[in-house]
Amino acid sequence: MKQFKQFINSFLLIELLKGMKVTFANMFRKKITVQYPEEKTPQSPRFRGLHALRTYPNGEERCIACKLCEAVCPAAAITIEAGPREDDGTRRTTKYEIDLFKCIFCGFCEESCPVDSIVETRVFDYHFEERGLHIMTKDMLLEMGRIHEDQIAADREADAKYR
Amino acid sequence: MGKVHIEIDGQKLEAEVGSMIIEVADKADIYIPRFCYHKKLSVAANCRMCMVDVANLPKAVPACATPVAEGMVIDTRSQKAINAQKAVMEFLLINHPLDCPVCDQGGECELQDLSVGYGDDVSRFTEGKRVVKDKDIGPLIATDMTRCIHCTRCVRFGQEIVGIREFGATGRGEHMEIGTYIEETVESEVSANIIDLCPVGALTAKPSQFKARAWELRQAPSIAAHDCLGSNIFVHHRRGEIIRVVPRENESINEVWLSDRDRFSYQGLTEGARLLNPRIKRNGEWEDCDWQTALNLVASEMKRIIGASNGNDFGILMGNNATTEESYLAQRMLRKAGSNNIDFRTRRRDYTGDGRGSVRSGMNFPMENLDTMDATLLIGADLRHEQPLTALRVRKSTGYGKAMAINPFDGEYNFRLSNELQPKSNMLAQEFACVLAAADALRPESLNAEAKEWLDGIEFNDEHKEIAQNLIDGEASCILMGVYVQEHPQAETINWLAETLASVTDSDWGYMTQGCNAAGNKIAGAVPCQSAAGGKSEQGKTAKEMLTEGLKGYMLVNCEPDVESIWAEQALQNLKDAEFVVALTSFADGRVPDYANVMLPIAGCYETSGTYINVEGKWQSFAAAVKAPGEARPGWKVLRVLANLLDLSGFEYESSLQVINELREKFDAVGDVRVARKVPPPMMVVNEQETNRECLGLYMVDPLVRRAGALQKTPKASTHPISISRVKTR
Repeated sequence: MKQFKQFINSFLLIELLKGMKVTFANMFRKKITVQYPEEKTPQSPRFRGLHALRTYPNGEERCIACKLCEAVCPAAAITIEAGPREDDGTRRTTKYEIDLFKCIFCGFCEESCPVDSIVETRVFDYHFEERGLHIMTKDMLLEMGRIHEDQIAADREADAKYR
Repeated sequence: MGKVHIEIDGQKLEAEVGSMIIEVADKADIYIPRFCYHKKLSVAANCRMCMVDVANLPKAVPACATPVAEGMVIDTRSQKAINAQKAVMEFLLINHPLDCPVCDQGGECELQDLSVGYGDDVSRFTEGKRVVKDKDIGPLIATDMTRCIHCTRCVRFGQEIVGIREFGATGRGEHMEIGTYIEETVESEVSANIIDLCPVGALTAKPSQFKARAWELRQAPSIAAHDCLGSNIFVHHRRGEIIRVVPRENESINEVWLSDRDRFSYQGLTEGARLLNPRIKRNGEWEDCDWQTALNLVASEMKRIIGASNGNDFGILMGNNATTEESYLAQRMLRKAGSNNIDFRTRRRDYTGDGRGSVRSGMNFPMENLDTMDATLLIGADLRHEQPLTALRVRKSTGYGKAMAINPFDGEYNFRLSNELQPKSNMLAQEFACVLAAADALRPESLNAEAKEWLDGIEFNDEHKEIAQNLIDGEASCILMGVYVQEHPQAETINWLAETLASVTDSDWGYMTQGCNAAGNKIAGAVPCQSAAGGKSEQGKTAKEMLTEGLKGYMLVNCEPDVESIWAEQALQNLKDAEFVVALTSFADGRVPDYANVMLPIAGCYETSGTYINVEGKWQSFAAAVKAPGEARPGWKVLRVLANLLDLSGFEYESSLQVINELREKFDAVGDVRVARKVPPPMMVVNEQETNRECLGLYMVDPLVRRAGALQKTPKASTHPISISRVKTR
């Protein structure tokens, strides 16, 4: 009896039709494929991508060279040298470098920063064309900050009540 | 002193009567938080942080100001004590800015540390915080007076330890401010100690401002190289760069202090133009070359000049901070190569004492004893500007003892002198002889016939008699000669007078020396009259002869005779006229490039291992703290290879330790032999011109200090402490 049922089922392509039912059902469902790079997945305000150094609205850099990010970095990716700035003698970095090969994007630097200067932006797609470019210098980081300031500020705002 | 028995935190302790609770606790390793208490300063009890709970007392009491009593039971961790400490911390934090991220003290701040233990996470204070204007107190110390918590350690340091009130507190309560009152730089030669004393970031070091965090620094123990004390220090460095120098506690030498010169001289290493490659001058142009080429040239020129002149026309001059190893290798190399012309005393006029006296030079009693002298007689000694920390010790003794001075200049003293004589500079020996004559009159039995004959006809007055009487009366008394005496044309006479006066009055005696390693250089044999450890040597040329008469060939080891020597102008001319000058130097600036033919880069201070022997004869070895830049190599290695290239045997050393051990063995075999002078030296008549020369200024003593930027900006750098203008010419 069992053998007979199996014969009928395979003869009438029942299994195949069952499978096709799933296929057809999905054919008319809404697509979830994201057309990267034209389209992107949504990101959390806490997303931890490429770093940036922020500035105040008046253009003054936020970083005060306290070196907490350098101290907390578990991958030792941050190198800072500091000294009094030449024009006004305030405490500033003379060198601020992040080695992206070492960085593990843990976000500790961001957390330790007392002035919200070093942040991680939503930028995650980048490449290097030459050896040496994996080190982000202070200028590159400040430029990142300038480009993405609106987004960064909005993200901090969104996350403010949880911090 | 009687003993009492107390109990702290359940630990039964025995304590001396009159000691404070905090002292006893410190000895027993029980930590009591404190800000204003410092073991070297008086008790102020104004921070109130050290509150402890004493049984049967209604309130918590300050541990720093409460003497122990028999049967006292103290609890430092009870709820009552902790509540008191927390309350104090809350008050302290009311006005303290929360600027730890920009504060240089952050990470090593006593307030920061203790606020972790005793501070609240939320402030109840909603009123405005007070702000205090910063003071500009000179190039060494950065101020941020808003951070000040009014512990008054800096005020007490100036008042009690240095004896110069540079800081004071004005106003009361919330309006209290620490400052100089009138706009003034802080210019004492030990001023930077207040940086260490300040428990918060109100006073920090300006030269290293914002450079590094405490947690980034590596610490290497070393020995300071700018005066003959050999102060113990820690060199703090980061990524191969020296960030700062701080004192290392050594009760018998520098206690917990450090002079500004020792603290900030490290700047010279980066601020001077460093020589990074061996250089040869060809047709008047400097060319970089490799070590092999340079050393071969030096060796062949040395062979040629020494061979042609039978050793007469080549000489080595050692610098003020040459290590003992360098001196030992240099003299051994030179003597084996056939010459005895080696000297380090580029500021000495009188060499008649050579071959006599002690194997080493310096003091014959421990420096610590200066603290407790009943009478101290200074001869030609400007301690504050020569060995600043000894001045602090003498000052300590003047609390109950007497300090006297026979100085031919208007010395600056930070202690009161009971007697002061100011002879003309060329009459120093004569004036001193009067004191000996007075002592002889007071104790007629102690001098031998020859000395009595020498003193015949010397008259003395009441002041001389008083000085002699003070020395005799003092249970512990000493005669201390300054660097000026060693530069005096009658140095030997004055030395003999001091030694004789010491024996008549039962005093200790000694003399301070130029540079940091005069004793080491002498033991190493870098003098024309004796080889290592007082060994025999034929008499070579002295530094004076080498510099004034001129030689065909010179080797300068970390030495710039055109600045350091008394005969600077003559020296410069003779060096320019010489056929061949090789300079082992760390720096490519100054006038060395004008006269040298070959410059070999050697490691500077803190970049080489070595040994300094201080003025009391303490051997202190140290390792290199950082690596020398470029191709620079430690001086001892250069000299060792040079000796190999001169085909001399016995130079197979592999470490500086082997070199110093060899010398140590030789020295221990003979000990510190003293060859006493049998006949008193003649009393020469000296012309005034000859003595009225400038001494090296406080911040001029060696190549490193001369290049230290911050020190050179201080008011003390621009004036020679004992300059011709200050030398009395009555």
